[in-house]
Amino acid sequence: MNEKPLQVLVVEDNAGDARLIREMFSKERRDSFELTHLSRMSDAVIHLAKGGVDVVLLDMGLPDEHGLDTVRRSLAAAPDVPVIVLTGLDDEALAAEAMKEGAQDYLIKGQIESRALPRALRHAIERHRLQTEADLIRTHQMQFKDEFLSHVSHELRSPLTAIYQFVTILLDKLAGELNPEQHEYLEIVLRNVKQLQAMIHDLLEVTRVQAGKLSIEVQCASVSDAVVYAVNTLEGTAAAKGITLSSEMECRLPPVCADPTRIRQILIILLDNAIKFTPPNGAVKVQARRIEEDPNLVVLEVSDSGCGISPDMTERIFERLFQTPDPASAGRKGLGLGLYICKELVTRQGGQIWARSAPGQGSVFSVTLPVFSLAGMIAPIFKTERRRESPVALVVTEIGSQTGWLSDAEHSDGIRALLQRCLHSDQDVLLPKMGSAGAAELFFIVATTDGIGGEAITRRIRKRLDGCGDLERAGLTVSTSYRSLEAIKRNARESMEDFLENAAVKIQGVINEEISSRMLENA
Amino acid sequence: MPNKKILIVDDDPDVRHGMQVRLKANHYDTFFAVDALSSMVEARKHEPDLMILDLGLPAGDGFVVMERFKIIPALAVIPIIVVSARDARANKGRAIKAGAKAFLQKPVDTAELLAVIRQALGEPAPAEKPVVYDLGSL
Repeated sequence: MNEKPLQVLVVEDNAGDARLIREMFSKERRDSFELTHLSRMSDAVIHLAKGGVDVVLLDMGLPDEHGLDTVRRSLAAAPDVPVIVLTGLDDEALAAEAMKEGAQDYLIKGQIESRALPRALRHAIERHRLQTEADLIRTHQMQFKDEFLSHVSHELRSPLTAIYQFVTILLDKLAGELNPEQHEYLEIVLRNVKQLQAMIHDLLEVTRVQAGKLSIEVQCASVSDAVVYAVNTLEGTAAAKGITLSSEMECRLPPVCADPTRIRQILIILLDNAIKFTPPNGAVKVQARRIEEDPNLVVLEVSDSGCGISPDMTERIFERLFQTPDPASAGRKGLGLGLYICKELVTRQGGQIWARSAPGQGSVFSVTLPVFSLAGMIAPIFKTERRRESPVALVVTEIGSQTGWLSDAEHSDGIRALLQRCLHSDQDVLLPKMGSAGAAELFFIVATTDGIGGEAITRRIRKRLDGCGDLERAGLTVSTSYRSLEAIKRNARESMEDFLENAAVKIQGVINEEISSRMLENA
Repeated sequence: MPNKKILIVDDDPDVRHGMQVRLKANHYDTFFAVDALSSMVEARKHEPDLMILDLGLPAGDGFVVMERFKIIPALAVIPIIVVSARDARANKGRAIKAGAKAFLQKPVDTAELLAVIRQALGEPAPAEKPVVYDLGSL
């Protein structure tokens, strides 16, 4: 039975300790272990990188590295090689920490039984192998599950399309007149088709959440726009149940840093739930305001006069597939994914969501969202090492419209794509998109760090957009300008990082003023 | 004035049929194709004013069709509306870049479909809306 000898790397700077370890191995069969002994971390890292080591016996007090860093460096150099740390008598706490860092086991010097050492090594190797396998299986399973759900959801949409098409064809009397009963029954079918459509959509959203593929485009967004949209969308449903749907918004509400489509989605889920769980002749209200305790947050509240939720459930309702076990919930449909999706969307945009309720006393669902801050958006990008060395420019392109339809997302996407074409593919760009609440302007700010600089980009953008006759015909005006932070910085004493933050804050101030003055004009 | 012609490319016969009924009621003449190859054959034969294209076709998806149409002058002029069961967020951008005028998610809302068709054909909309500039020419 000729097994390959296990390659053991012993990293130990104390000659006496090293000799003891070597002696323990000498009692084993010759060809079962091969020992390599090194006394510095740097040498060990090189050796590990070459590959072929099966296990590392690591002293945590080396001349060029000590403590948990030894474990980290070993795992960084060879993540697949299990580590067993050697510690002194007083260091069990440190050893426990080492295991949290990823070491498989620890041995206390001076207390190692000679027979125990090789056994400990074999166990460590086996344990590590099993862990790696388990992780791999779990990842594959999750991937499979997500792909499966995604595939199924897509496939479900085709037959649903055919059903929807023909039900609407019948309802629109394209196949002849309908008696009232036929009309009523077809309406029921249509309602359920829409329900199914919503369920498939939720299912897909959830698989995206799991796969980390939820796309959220954070920008300067208007909460009031979202509230108006959501209320309009659900007015009919509320009226059908005799429920009063109202909204109350603080005036001069600042824009928030969020994805406008997602805010709408969140509000619709919350309002839809509120209407579902409120009996006829009840009331549902949406409110939006700033909170005193934190000026950087805007809070949205959806309250209803419905059946309420028991206090011990108010956290569980945000779990996946959770549906209240309430027998009085006749006609309650849905997969129970809405609030889970809501919570995911809210937290991913930097907000929080929670519910306050009691049975029979209605509920209040609260969502906080961060107030828009350009400095907040730009500063982290500028903090990365690489960017500090290159020149920086902020290019502002402002597109105005006389007809006021620029808030249509599709068109702003087109303009954004256009601007992106003016830049080189390998240029590092931040393109936060800003739409000013309901008004007819959009401006894009391109922050770039490259050798070419803001001036060249500005020229390119102007040329592209000037040559576009269609823009004129559509009644659009374009202006592009840039601010070279380098030139402004030349006289400043702060570090580039601080300077960029301050500059972003100043520009933010200017933009905030612009936005609120336009909102006043349109009010 | 003769009716405008629309080519419907979808491998699901029920979906094609449903669209035909709806479009006929709105005074459009319709023709069918079931995959990439037949889409080119039918387009050449009927010279449609517009193509409604499903992405999930057998043997070459909608993107392949759009690529092939782009390189043939007679076909490249046909405006394309993509209709798909696939996720909008992931595919809309790609479809527009590939030359589509619009991306609609299945099940397609009837009013939206008709509005998008009218827009792509340059027909005046029943409701008031300003002239939309054609992103394709920028």
